[in-house]
Amino acid sequence: MPAPETDRRPTAADPVAITVEGVSKAFGAVQALVEVDVRVRAGEFLSLIGPSGCGKTTLLKIIAGLVPADRGRVRVGDRVVAGPGRECSVVFQDFALLPWTSVQRNVEFGLLLRGMDGRERAARARAAIAKVGLGGFESAYPAQLSGGMQQRVGLARALAVSPRVLLMDEPFASIDEQTRRVFQDDLLRLWSEERKTVVLVTHSMEEAIYLSDRVVVLSPRPGRIHQTLEVPLPRPRESADVRATAEFARLVDGLWKVLRKLQ
Amino acid sequence: MVLALRAASLVAFLLLWEWAARAPISFNFPSPWATLTALAALVRSGALPAATLTSLQSLLLGFSAAVLVGVPLGLVMGVVRPVGRVARVYLDLLIALPTAALVPLVILSFGINVLSSAVIVFVFSAPFVIMNAYGGVRDVRPRLVEMARAFDASWTQLFTRIVLPSALPMILAGIRYALSRAFVGLIVAELLLSPFGLGKLIMTTRSMFEHDRMFATVLWTLLFAGAALAALARVEARLLRWRA
Repeated sequence: MPAPETDRRPTAADPVAITVEGVSKAFGAVQALVEVDVRVRAGEFLSLIGPSGCGKTTLLKIIAGLVPADRGRVRVGDRVVAGPGRECSVVFQDFALLPWTSVQRNVEFGLLLRGMDGRERAARARAAIAKVGLGGFESAYPAQLSGGMQQRVGLARALAVSPRVLLMDEPFASIDEQTRRVFQDDLLRLWSEERKTVVLVTHSMEEAIYLSDRVVVLSPRPGRIHQTLEVPLPRPRESADVRATAEFARLVDGLWKVLRKLQ
Repeated sequence: MVLALRAASLVAFLLLWEWAARAPISFNFPSPWATLTALAALVRSGALPAATLTSLQSLLLGFSAAVLVGVPLGLVMGVVRPVGRVARVYLDLLIALPTAALVPLVILSFGINVLSSAVIVFVFSAPFVIMNAYGGVRDVRPRLVEMARAFDASWTQLFTRIVLPSALPMILAGIRYALSRAFVGLIVAELLLSPFGLGKLIMTTRSMFEHDRMFATVLWTLLFAGAALAALARVEARLLRWRA
């Protein structure tokens, strides 16, 4: 059982983990992102939200080094992003698991690509599988697991390489509501335990408020930063019944009012 | 259940055959029993084993060449897009072409021998190996490539860890289909051009009105092809256990 999340929010004193400076990106004639600036503090949980087509996933992929920016610069730690790097792991909406191999091998995948030898790889993967609560499912194949469990495999694979930054692209979007809530709590616990910097792309306002320290709202076509909201809810949130509080409702409503104008 | 159905279908087939042999439909149509007796005689005399061995040479030569050339060629076509776009035109033509028409051409180039049967086998089967390897690469889920790239995979890693395993089911399906095509090509070649092996046996028995022997040889060829295909299907099922 992981330790409960502590009530320690990132401050200006914390080092900056990710710097996005003046990033623009166009796909053909479509301006996906224009002059986007974001700073993410080390250990911060930041959400990107906005109407579809606002470029939030594109921004995440630019930070991951999967998509090059047309203009501007991204730094992760000390490194200027010019391609995928070792500091970041990505969790995908559709899990992106290898269907032809076991949970164990899937979780080992990133370590395998980095040339780690078999024994250490297996041990690290087993630890990551246990961490996401899938101990005992090592030899199962992805198709034998539910959506929620498959995404836990995706998360274990991302954590196994010990990244400093976790980039999550709508990780809970294809998971049913009850499973999602349990999974979100587990994610918060893991996050506080491991002290990762997390950037989460989501279209769920509730999810953004529940999980994040800050929520960045992007406006569509062209994608720009519209507003940044602080989420002053106390932590740990997963053990307290934060969703039932008036403060939570007020924050979700505030976010909705911002987003409604962007529709 | 399946076993019972299979047995029932076999019995029904044999009864239908027996009826066809008795009914005055065709001249000298051998009954199942006559065919099986002829088959036993042909095996004992050594004519059938010898013919099979000869045919097997052409088959293995042509088919393994089709796999060894076809899989890499299809993979290259899939990975290097411009090559794929150009080559697939020829591939489509090759598949649409009535391949039997090539037989005279092959005789002229390779002469009347076992090798030219192998060439025909190759021409019959290779296009399907190539096509499926190509299709397999084209069908790789882009998301899996993106996932591996996010882990900073090298080009070689992408190919061996994502592209190849993704394409494997289609490659194997192509190989299996190509094997059945290889048998067709083999018999066409041996009937039409190089009088060797099983095709020759079919031809000589027919010309001597030994229809029971001719049928026995055709039946033998079918069993042979069936066994080879079943063996390949087993290998395929083993390799693709994860799909079960």
